[in-house]
Amino acid sequence: MGPLKLPSTVISQTDIARLMRELNGLDDFFVGAHARQSGTKMGLPKISRQIDLTARENKINLLDMAGRQHMMAELKTIYEKAPNLHISFAIEPSPKAFEKVILWMRSNIHPQTLVSIGLQPAIAAGCVVRTTNKVFDMSLRASLAKEAGYLKELVQGAVDGR
Amino acid sequence: MNNGGLILIVGSLVAAALAFLWLAFKLEAGGRRQEGPAVPDDVRNAASKDVEHIFNDDFREELRNRGRLHFEKIIGENAMFLQQDLRQTTTQLNDYMRAEITRTLQDEFKKYEQSIADAKQIAMDSIEKTVATIEQQRQFLEQQMKSQSDAQKAKIIGRFEEEMSSIINHYVVKAIGNQIDLSDQLDFILNEMENNKQAIIEDIRNGTS
Repeated sequence: MGPLKLPSTVISQTDIARLMRELNGLDDFFVGAHARQSGTKMGLPKISRQIDLTARENKINLLDMAGRQHMMAELKTIYEKAPNLHISFAIEPSPKAFEKVILWMRSNIHPQTLVSIGLQPAIAAGCVVRTTNKVFDMSLRASLAKEAGYLKELVQGAVDGR
Repeated sequence: MNNGGLILIVGSLVAAALAFLWLAFKLEAGGRRQEGPAVPDDVRNAASKDVEHIFNDDFREELRNRGRLHFEKIIGENAMFLQQDLRQTTTQLNDYMRAEITRTLQDEFKKYEQSIADAKQIAMDSIEKTVATIEQQRQFLEQQMKSQSDAQKAKIIGRFEEEMSSIINHYVVKAIGNQIDLSDQLDFILNEMENNKQAIIEDIRNGTS
């Protein structure tokens, strides 16, 4: 088994933590199932779509304890070591649009990149990506500020009649 | 008129008066001398008789009249000479006085004209200096105002250039802030991420190592 592939619906550390909690819940369920007396009623645990997709993409059988343990170990590694970026948009991104962003990140930066989303209406358009040490301002505001010299040239040209 | 001329005229008048007095005195002395020195009595008496005979009252009166006429003639002639001299002297004096007065007046007029010319020149110089000073002040003020105007203009333009881009940015950001959907921005965002890809990867590596 290789490193865990994360589906596009699993985005942030919070999602990873939720998956870990669900896995723990499943473990508890199976331990309880072992310990139960025959004839005792027990309810099946509900799992989320995210853990189901993760298990499917990684071909892990959640009924198998070894598979769950492997998944838990991988999730812990991801939680602790995977690159965690913070990205801010001007407006709340739609899941469909954001999926393309996260897919690009996982295919170009790191396959297990985690992202937390923020909002900054002041940037107008684009986004601001914050890594551990740096901030990459890829917003329209920064782009306009970068082109201020060109704007001055245009205004100067208009004033000079060129 | 100078003092020499005046003294000359007064001296002439005094000399004429003295000459007149001397002549009168001389005539009177001559008349007295005709009485003659002392002679013997008989001669005197005979002479007196002859004299009385010759120089009777009529004759004496005749002589007296002649003398009077002669004296009057001389007096008249001298008076005429004196009058001529006086007239001539007066004429010369008038001419002299006129010439002196004219010369003095001309001198005074010349001085007056010179004073007026000097005052005019001084006034002109003063006016020219004032005009030059005013012109200097005007040029200085003009230069000062121009430099202040240029500085103010440059300041305004500088401030406009400094603030213009931020004002336009702010306006654009405010205007389109919530109008663009993320789907429309994806190409821009992915393109920007592609441009910053290496920097992001390097920072992640540095941050995680």
